[in-house]
Amino acid sequence: MNARPSLVERINALGPWLLVLPATAVLAFILIIPVAGTLAESFSNPAGFFANYRDFFADSYNRTVMIRSFRIAFLSTLTSLILGFGGAYMIANASQGVKRVLLILSVFPLLTSVVVRSFSFMAILGRNGVVNTALMKLGIISEPMEMLFTQGAVIAGLAYLFTPLMILSLVGVLENIEDDLYLAAGSLGASPVAVFFQVTLPLAVPGMIVGSILVFTGSLATFVTPTLLGGEPQMTLATLLYQKAMISFDWGAANTIAAIMMGTAIFCVVVLGTIASRISARRAVH
Amino acid sequence: MLHSTSLLRASAVAALLVVPAVSAQAQETFVVSNWGYSNDFYEPFIFEPFEKEHNVKVVTETGGAPERLNKARIRGGVDVILLTDKFSQIGINQGAFETIDDTKLSNFDELYDAAKNPQGDYGPAYTFGRYGIVYDKTRTDTPITSWCDLWREDFAGAIAMPAFNTTGGPLTVMMAGKCAGSDAFEDPDTAFAKMAELKPNIVKTFSSGSELTNLLSTGEAFIGLAQDYAFPAIQAANPNIGWAELSEGDFRMMNTYNIPKNAKHKELALAFIDFSISMQAQKDAAIELVSGSGPVNKTVELTPEQASQLVYGEKAVLSMQPTPYDKLLEVNDDWESRWNEVFGR
Repeated sequence: MNARPSLVERINALGPWLLVLPATAVLAFILIIPVAGTLAESFSNPAGFFANYRDFFADSYNRTVMIRSFRIAFLSTLTSLILGFGGAYMIANASQGVKRVLLILSVFPLLTSVVVRSFSFMAILGRNGVVNTALMKLGIISEPMEMLFTQGAVIAGLAYLFTPLMILSLVGVLENIEDDLYLAAGSLGASPVAVFFQVTLPLAVPGMIVGSILVFTGSLATFVTPTLLGGEPQMTLATLLYQKAMISFDWGAANTIAAIMMGTAIFCVVVLGTIASRISARRAVH
Repeated sequence: MLHSTSLLRASAVAALLVVPAVSAQAQETFVVSNWGYSNDFYEPFIFEPFEKEHNVKVVTETGGAPERLNKARIRGGVDVILLTDKFSQIGINQGAFETIDDTKLSNFDELYDAAKNPQGDYGPAYTFGRYGIVYDKTRTDTPITSWCDLWREDFAGAIAMPAFNTTGGPLTVMMAGKCAGSDAFEDPDTAFAKMAELKPNIVKTFSSGSELTNLLSTGEAFIGLAQDYAFPAIQAANPNIGWAELSEGDFRMMNTYNIPKNAKHKELALAFIDFSISMQAQKDAAIELVSGSGPVNKTVELTPEQASQLVYGEKAVLSMQPTPYDKLLEVNDDWESRWNEVFGR
């Protein structure tokens, strides 16, 4: 027969829970409660439980903004993935000293304000900016191209903003691929291209998924870059949310947009996270 | 006995330590909600004299107009709030402000009529500003003399226009109606059809004065629809930019004082407003803040140089078009939807 645990033993057993209790309480207070409040507010309309959502989706302009936001977030994620993969691959395969320098250089933009980085893109893509000036001096174009205040400018700005996060997510994964795998693939006659597509790329999928979650949710939520590089014709959910909350004082619509953005972010994290963990589990079995 | 003497001494020391703290606490805190950029002026010219006269400590709460209005309305803790007339009208419509008894303002009679009760029995205006057109005079041979010039074909891709949800945005719609020969409030279809014709000329719709300055200084746009408070920065960035003399006149913009319903020091707030609209405070503001702070007190006398960038004098005040924010807020949702159809697709 087992003796009942003493009080000290019971407190010891609770130890880890007691240690996380203060942080959990603080998080609950500053994060969960306001988020829950926002969600609850999005459903509190005298016209009905889903009235705010019905009103939001009934407006074709809101639907346009939502589709545009997802498209911009998706394309900036894809751009970040392509650019970030190249950068991360280079960093992962560099010598220790060079690796450190390249990592610092790739993370350095994160230390600069989003506003400054967006304004710097205005200087690059503007009518008298670096790109137009170079193209005109080379005689490729005779008049400045309209690059600013387009969807392309917003995507480029977001990709520039979030590519460091993609690089950080991928470097660790690429570094952990065993050299033996490359050697084995090579000895079996695989070309470098085949090695990349059949070894490197599949093994990097978990890092790509984590990076994509960070970039997609970040691109969806960011406010400054679409405002400065896109303006009204490139209105996104984040800018529409700001407009509804801070200028039109339409809190019902603002809460609804916030809830939609939150739902999308959670959906991405859950679905892509599940895919990543299944891939990891399958790899562990094999 | 020794014990009681020690106790007495300890009590005396404690009392000495506590008394300054108590008296410091006795000084009331008076909260003014204001934009951040003008506090450098307010500190020596308004806050300090007011603090001395009323034995209070002035504390400022800064930020953009909508967020400050939201905070004052929902959270409270603000005694006086400074807003543009668009946002003070929103606050009035939300029932956020006290009415003001102007008989308690000794300087009230010195105000121009337009500044006395611009929005009913609520706060008086404390500055006049203007909303008009600025442009780089070296980039066009034909000067801009009318709002309707914005639709000129030679201005394709040249104009920076305020977004709808700014103070100036809806005023452009009013002018579009006028240029189309109708009234935008009665016939919004015609006004927005005219706005759609303006679209090819718009390079960007902006949300802040600094964004406009950036667009004009980098040459992205050479025409801007601007409020005069932004003009010095614009001209510093590009000296070729000047203010257009428009046949229809600029729009009159006003900033107002209001007392939130949940303010703690309402009588003191009246005293603060009274002090701020006095001749001396108004003159100091006109001279120190330079642009966007045309005096509302008609007894203020300025030299031509001091008045050069200001809305100053009865003639200037009367020549401007009024901004009917009560009417504009009534049609806000409809116009916003129409605007998004034109510029947001």
